[in-house]
Amino acid sequence: MLYALAGVIIGFIAGWYFPLYLPLEYGRLLSVSLMAALDTVFGGIRSSMEGKYDNFVFITGFFTNAVMAAFVCYSGLLMGIDLYMVGILIFGMRIFNNLAAIRHLFLKK
Amino acid sequence: MLANKHAKIMLLIVFAILGFMIATQIKTTERQKTINVQRAEELTERLRDVEQQRDELAKEVERLQAASGSDEALESEVERLKEFAGEVPLEGKGIQLILDDSKVTAQVGENPNLYIIHDDDLLRVINELRAAGAEAISINGERLVSTSEIRCAGPTLSVNNNRSAPPYVILAIGNPSNLASALKLRGGVLDTFKFWGIQADLTQPEVVKVPAFKGRRIFEYAQAAPDEDKAAKEGGK
Repeated sequence: MLYALAGVIIGFIAGWYFPLYLPLEYGRLLSVSLMAALDTVFGGIRSSMEGKYDNFVFITGFFTNAVMAAFVCYSGLLMGIDLYMVGILIFGMRIFNNLAAIRHLFLKK
Repeated sequence: MLANKHAKIMLLIVFAILGFMIATQIKTTERQKTINVQRAEELTERLRDVEQQRDELAKEVERLQAASGSDEALESEVERLKEFAGEVPLEGKGIQLILDDSKVTAQVGENPNLYIIHDDDLLRVINELRAAGAEAISINGERLVSTSEIRCAGPTLSVNNNRSAPPYVILAIGNPSNLASALKLRGGVLDTFKFWGIQADLTQPEVVKVPAFKGRRIFEYAQAAPDEDKAAKEGGK
């Protein structure tokens, strides 16, 4: 847990001072992959609370989810389909589900 | 223990990437906002400028309209141009020349055409008068303007597309003595007329009244060409 928090802080500071800006089109892709990554993180938290946490599954899930989400949305952009909206919606719903589950598990303890 | 440490470092890296993504996203969004705000401010500024300009121009239009209502210079210019163009009747000192066909009958074998007035006779008279500084000329009540023709039309003459038969009354405003002497030159127009017996009566009335051009002039093909100096300047820019 400590490592995770430290990682977020380090990454945030690095990203804040790294001169990288994305144009609006790719900003959408990044937002979708960010949602996928957050979804994986909350899923990981939930599974760790359920005692089913697997580091390998978590790390591979993190990367594949983020990259695949971005890729699917990119192909959506090419075809003129607003897939990023769908991605944000689905990932958002899953994040809130996970949050609810985490709360329940926390209360049960 | 090693596997555990390895896993923790991996976790650190994963979360670092997550943090990086969040930061980039936030920055991008922030910049988008500030760009929009900047653009809006810029547009507001420009709108204010343009509105101010518009108000100033509107004031100028008002001022110019007010000024043009009492613009005597413009009116007198229009009047002057009308006089030049023959749109208004003119009067002044000048000469009056009445021409009529010859009373001499043509001899047998002689061309009777030599004894009547032709368009080139009148053209010579007009040319002479203009050379002597005539300011306004009319033939049988037809004012000569820039588009006037003098042409044979059967036994009559056509001026401004109106036919008239002899006698021809030519009125010219100008210095009377200059005009008269130009016509009376030795070997000049009147001498030639005298030779053929064509009757010419030259008088110098106190006041000669030249009528206005009565027709309508419309340019069907011609239109004002763009100012060449201006065009050259703009082209040179």
